[in-house]
Amino acid sequence: MRLQVVLPLAACLSPVAAIFSDEVNHIDFHHALLGAPSPDSTFFLKPSSSSNASLLYTISEKSIVGAVNPRDGSLIWRQDLGRFSSSPTGPGILRGLDGNSAVVSAAGDSISSWSAQDGKLIWESRLYGGAVADLELLELHDASESPDSRDAIALTYSDGTGVVRRLDGDLGKTKWEYKDTSGDMAFQVSSSPTEIFYISLQPALLKGYRIKVTALDPVTGRQSRHVILNSESDVTGQESILFVGANTASPLIVWTDKSLKTLKVNVIGTKHVTSLPIDNASGLDIGEITVHAPRKLNSLAHFLVHYKTKSGAWAEVYHVDMKSSVVTKAYNLPYLQGQSVVATNNINANVYFTRVTDAEAVVVSSASHGILGRWKADVSTSDPALHAVADVVTKGKTVAVRSAVIRESGDWSLIRNGHTEWTRPEALVHTVAAAWAVEEDLEDLAHELEIEGHESLVGAYIHRVKRHLRDLQYFPEWLKDLPKRIVTSMLSDEVSNLDSFGVAQSIILATDKGRVYALDTGRHGIIKWAIQAEKTSDWDVKAILANPGSAEVFLGDGSSVRVNSSTGEILAKSPPTDVKLQTIATINQQAGLSAAQNGAIGIRGDGTPVAPLDLLSGFLVTTSSDGRLLGWARKDSKFPVWDFVPPAGQKVVKAVSRPSHDPVASIGKVLGDRSVLYKYLNPNLVLVTAVNEQEHIAGFYLLDGVSGKVLHSVSRAGVDPTQPITSAISENWFAYSFFGDALEESSAKGYQLVVSELYESPIVNDRGPLGSAGNFSSLHNERGDSLPLPHVVSQSFVIAEPISHMAVTQTRQGITIRQLLCVLPSSNAIVGIPRHVLDPRRPVDRDPTSAEAEEGLFRYAPFLEFDGRWYLSHSRDVAGIKTVLSQPTLLESTSLIFAFGGDIFGTRATPSQAFDILGKSFSKLQLVLTVVALTGGVMFLAPMARAKQVNMLWKST
Amino acid sequence: MSSPLPPPPPPEWVVAMNSTLPRPTKAASSIPDPPGFSSGRGGKQRQQQQPIAKKAEDTDALKMKKAWEIAIAPSKQLPMNAIMMYMSGNSLQIFSIMMVFMLFKGPIQGLISTNEAFARYETPSTRGRLVAVKLVYILMQLLLLALGIWKVNAMGLLPTTRSDWLAWESERQPLERAFFALKG
Repeated sequence: MRLQVVLPLAACLSPVAAIFSDEVNHIDFHHALLGAPSPDSTFFLKPSSSSNASLLYTISEKSIVGAVNPRDGSLIWRQDLGRFSSSPTGPGILRGLDGNSAVVSAAGDSISSWSAQDGKLIWESRLYGGAVADLELLELHDASESPDSRDAIALTYSDGTGVVRRLDGDLGKTKWEYKDTSGDMAFQVSSSPTEIFYISLQPALLKGYRIKVTALDPVTGRQSRHVILNSESDVTGQESILFVGANTASPLIVWTDKSLKTLKVNVIGTKHVTSLPIDNASGLDIGEITVHAPRKLNSLAHFLVHYKTKSGAWAEVYHVDMKSSVVTKAYNLPYLQGQSVVATNNINANVYFTRVTDAEAVVVSSASHGILGRWKADVSTSDPALHAVADVVTKGKTVAVRSAVIRESGDWSLIRNGHTEWTRPEALVHTVAAAWAVEEDLEDLAHELEIEGHESLVGAYIHRVKRHLRDLQYFPEWLKDLPKRIVTSMLSDEVSNLDSFGVAQSIILATDKGRVYALDTGRHGIIKWAIQAEKTSDWDVKAILANPGSAEVFLGDGSSVRVNSSTGEILAKSPPTDVKLQTIATINQQAGLSAAQNGAIGIRGDGTPVAPLDLLSGFLVTTSSDGRLLGWARKDSKFPVWDFVPPAGQKVVKAVSRPSHDPVASIGKVLGDRSVLYKYLNPNLVLVTAVNEQEHIAGFYLLDGVSGKVLHSVSRAGVDPTQPITSAISENWFAYSFFGDALEESSAKGYQLVVSELYESPIVNDRGPLGSAGNFSSLHNERGDSLPLPHVVSQSFVIAEPISHMAVTQTRQGITIRQLLCVLPSSNAIVGIPRHVLDPRRPVDRDPTSAEAEEGLFRYAPFLEFDGRWYLSHSRDVAGIKTVLSQPTLLESTSLIFAFGGDIFGTRATPSQAFDILGKSFSKLQLVLTVVALTGGVMFLAPMARAKQVNMLWKST
Repeated sequence: MSSPLPPPPPPEWVVAMNSTLPRPTKAASSIPDPPGFSSGRGGKQRQQQQPIAKKAEDTDALKMKKAWEIAIAPSKQLPMNAIMMYMSGNSLQIFSIMMVFMLFKGPIQGLISTNEAFARYETPSTRGRLVAVKLVYILMQLLLLALGIWKVNAMGLLPTTRSDWLAWESERQPLERAFFALKG
């Protein structure tokens, strides 16, 4: 009886399970993602002049600057520019130069310089005059400057005014600026060893643009001359110009005529335009032309033009004569079927082109067409490559190449001499929805067990015997595996061998780029399969519903895609309907004997369900876009049975309900004197957050989802609506967090976390007005009054940083204490706060009495410091998390955690420590050896002892 | 093996002990006792035994007195046990559990062996009077048991509170279920 108190107490008092450093990478996994790299801002660079090792730098389309180790694909550092820039426009620009210890990035109107080695900010400069259109690093530098910092040339453009600035490489200060107010469209900047060129597009009289090149003095920024190229018949906009050679020995401007018949090349600074005929031998339409030229001043003035058609590609290499500015064709790389991408790099003056096709990788020198190296690709992928950067190393006559290829799927992989070294699934950064896959066979067993549960004793027995006889067919296989299993279980510890306990589950992800992935949480989150469900860049995924063996992705246009959850095969696609959906209600209800009945109902923006609720055996609660909450009864999808409108000026911003799997192990809370406070348990609770943005008031309303009755409400003034306001509800408690301003002297200013517990009655051993009734109804009641109100106990804590998302751990039976999972966006971490720390009944301003201490309560402290042991993410930098999912496993102690939205992170949480798992220190081998040694000892000693006893008998008489 | 041997003659000291002490001769009794030897006890015994043997009522009275002593004996343990139980604390530890176990074992054994405890004093003449003695004895043992039960209760091992029956209470089931399609 005492155990009733002692067990939860022991669970509370035991030190909260922390993630130990030897468990990192063992029970958890983390995909630190950047997003798909931006093609013209991705490069290999040696971060320090002392070391020969180079890193792979990129800025992704999510405006994240990052450095990746080309050896294993691990992230060295990253910086999210979106966090600093007010208005990120486009992916941004990243530039680096060999010999420069910094890389310079631009996003929106701000330019920042990062230490190439460790990603620390060197300087940041906000430029007035529009967004940064182009950015170059000056390779030439004055003798007076430090040798490892290069000045940057930035071009900003807004409303017809282009401004070129030279920024100091050490401090980021503007050295000079050149303002072009002629109304031309500022396009790019480029530099030659002696001059800086500002290239703008001047609107021609009728249509098209003329290219205007203004040469500036690098030291003073004064305009020295300008050249206007007659290109108005060809150039219709920025996209018409294929290439503006940046920092090359002979900077080029390349464009084509409209019919893609001739290539026009101009060496910047000259008036001469060379027309080169495009020799299209394939006869197919040219889809894409790209120009590849080396970016270093001292390299040879050679460049390559790559032509892509629908089914193949070829390339032509041209040489520029520096003196006469004449462009001549040197040779061409033959037309090959399939996809191909070309990358350029140079060693000293020599320029090398690396061509990566589906089947092989080829390295050629720009000087001659002789193939220096050729490697067969080890894996053939149907995933077309979009762009590549290469790093060629020569050793005598042989060359080695590693090329980082960006593929259409968003994968970024490094191919070293034809062998794929690593692949980073960068497209996972776009994950918008996820669901745990349900395995088919598990569901079968649950179904069979349910049948047994409903049959008579004899019937159930016969059913079970039959089932076991059926299962006998797997017996020989099981027997065959047995020795192997015993050996492996001896050698490996228990923690790593829990796959059969539901610790290894698959999770289905959908991205807004139309891709669906399945990750295996048991094997470090590797991708089991990935499919392109739809070719789109804006896939409006609303929900994923997992059924046994399959998963259905619901979209905002009313369509859905059903995929096989173990293979990724598309099983069915339903066409879009004409209504725009806001959310999808996924319904997972137990319908009598048959297995769980799953369904989905689309909800329109105004909160009305699309279809009648025939599927449903209950009520439906929806949110409407105008900030109300609506309740719907079965079979009436026109008129809601209730609606909740928050007080004037407030708008519903968030509503949460208890998780669908939220078992309650004990219906009461046992106090120190062993009396009971009964929990207020109602699965239909909704916690609504409504915000008045003008008056900075936040209201938190606890509603009954069936009747719409407000059970409890709190209004808080001085809430900052721009800071994250988030909430979670589980069991008999809810929590919310916001930034509160100090309105009076006694109130706290800062991020606050408020926890409220609901009880049936404030009196112990009392079950409230309903007494010992076995069930309750929100609508009908003999006493006339409907649902009794809960007794609410609340406590608030001041926390150091905002919480952007909250979730609660789920375990199989709910015996394990729960953790409140909080996403901390400012420290890029996920913490699991144990529930007993957040107990609102903690004694305030006094030490706990012995009874309270026995209950596990300790003195309340207003400031809640996140204990290092609560960090589920350990020391990892888990950035951009939007949603955290929790899933129970077959082990009561363990809950699976999966976080997505930016990075992908998965781990196992054991809030009451892993009490049902043998620890790492437990050695089965040692146990067996001890038993064997003891048995041996007994067998050896037994005859001796027997002989001694017999002798004693003889000698005593 | 075939037939048991006749029992060996008893040793000399057995014969001497069983036979009554020969009355000391006049000369012997005149010899003074060695210093430190007291013949008083032996003499007293002889003097007491003789009247008990002679008077059955005296024997019975003595037996009753002895029986009462035995009946009251457990009550003497009561204060000591109470103090021990009080001092040992209410936590569940091996030491306090063992003490509580002993506390229960003693009275229960005593209760079982009530008749054996008084068997020596039971004669046809004392039987009637011994009933009251036995009742007091049982009462005393029950007092000790009560002390044990008090202790067990203090340790929280008796299901006397609401929380002990919490596991048998069930969650109230709702008659209606709501499903949620919530945004954000």
